[in-house]
Amino acid sequence: MRRSKPRGNLDLYRRVLDHGLVDADGLPCGTVDEIEAAGKPGEPLEIVALLVGPAAWTPRLPALFAIISRLLAGSRLVRVPWSEVAEISEQIRLRSTAVALGLGVTDRRVGRWLARLPMSGYEPK
Amino acid sequence: MQFLEIFLGILTAMGGFVEIGELTFMLNAGSKFDYRLLWVVALGTIGIIVFGEIAGRIAAVRGQGLFHVIRERAGIRLGLLTLAAATIVCLLTCAAEIGGIALLWQLMSGLPYRLLIVLALAFFLLASWFLPFKWIERIFGLLGLFMVIFIVLACKVSPDWSSVVAGLVPSLPQGPTDQRLLQSYYAVALLSSVMLPYETYFYAAGAIEDKWTAKYVPANRVIVILGFLLGGTLAAAIMIAGKSLLGPLNVEAQLPGTAAIVVAVELGRAGLCCALAGMFFAFAGAAIETAFSCAYNIAQFFGWPFGKVRAPRTASRFTFAWIVAFVLSAVVVLTGVDPIRVVEYSIVFSVVILPLTYFPLMALSRDRDVMGVHVNGVIANTLGWFYFVVICIAAAAAIPLLVLTHGGEG
Repeated sequence: MRRSKPRGNLDLYRRVLDHGLVDADGLPCGTVDEIEAAGKPGEPLEIVALLVGPAAWTPRLPALFAIISRLLAGSRLVRVPWSEVAEISEQIRLRSTAVALGLGVTDRRVGRWLARLPMSGYEPK
Repeated sequence: MQFLEIFLGILTAMGGFVEIGELTFMLNAGSKFDYRLLWVVALGTIGIIVFGEIAGRIAAVRGQGLFHVIRERAGIRLGLLTLAAATIVCLLTCAAEIGGIALLWQLMSGLPYRLLIVLALAFFLLASWFLPFKWIERIFGLLGLFMVIFIVLACKVSPDWSSVVAGLVPSLPQGPTDQRLLQSYYAVALLSSVMLPYETYFYAAGAIEDKWTAKYVPANRVIVILGFLLGGTLAAAIMIAGKSLLGPLNVEAQLPGTAAIVVAVELGRAGLCCALAGMFFAFAGAAIETAFSCAYNIAQFFGWPFGKVRAPRTASRFTFAWIVAFVLSAVVVLTGVDPIRVVEYSIVFSVVILPLTYFPLMALSRDRDVMGVHVNGVIANTLGWFYFVVICIAAAAAIPLLVLTHGGEG
């Protein structure tokens, strides 16, 4: 069921939007919250980037919930260029690491805080 | 997969089946309605088997948790609504389990209730931080098997087995309107307590933690069918004990201690110790499962690294989420709210979110493009949609019945 990045038709709604992102090291690094496309009337649309972060998913909510969610989750937005997509399968696999793409910033920040606790680096075999 | 692993999986599924809400509702349903609601236990047990099998199969084939699937299939709006509702229900259930443990410890030590809640919180934080997933699963699941004492008790009280079998046949509520409403309320609550959504969330997340692949699909089926069937038997035994020992005295179980006394009366000191140990590990297991379910669900929905197989600082937001879940749950019971009331509400609200949880599961598991040869067969499809209709009816009836029966007071 795995398929590399398709060159022909791609059902963006079913295969890309709201799917998980995995970086080059296999680490989950967010979800495709919105898709940025470019094109002119009469021309085929071209996918430019995948958008990740609260600023991408909150506008998809009803207005009141969008405001509340933005207050709670912030307004961070990361653009992942479409050229970074290596493979589309159950998840979207990226060519670069999360650090290089600016993804998972909060994870690393909370991780530094948790690192002060004993056994925070312990990974069961 | 080793035979031993499947065997332990079955026992863990059985040991983790009962929690404080199920215990209370089963005892009270037996006390109030004899065996007339046993069929609901059977119905719910088959239901949780059906959805547990589907969730485990998706996790094994796709390596994805439930909220990955819900986000993909239901989208951000409906998905976020399901996530919010599931988180609230899991937090309420976790709060009730922590309160239940504090009540149990109070029964044994006589120490102040609020101090014991704080101690229980510290116990959960330390156990969850230091123990690997496998140990958490095994310790609380397997030692929860002390609850088997209720099956011993059900046999000891020599019930009228023909009435027990008759109770397995579905029947409509009888008697005056308020009694019929109360019996309907109990039927919905029992169905919900057996099919609590966190069991499916945690089971599927466990399959990912254990790195299941498609070759685990047959093992998943065996574990779910036998483990949940034995768990359902345990739940039925509690109802039988409630009918035989609380029914004649017209007693309603309001505290975990009532269940312990029920066992002590018939089976003495050894029985009491088994019941207390069983309840402790069952409640503790459920508290950990619900707190972790909150964290798994949120992490899966937003695509964060998750799992106890990762170091806490790697899966940092997931780790932070379960810590917050435990703390918030403890704060809920520290306010002095009755944990049994909390669990009653959480169980009734659970049934409302069941359709939101199970529809995306059904939609994905029947999609051959996604599941390949592991797509739903005729049995899984038929039973899955049948149960989807059942839980939709239960969800629609839950809140009106809660209001009409004054929260199950009659």
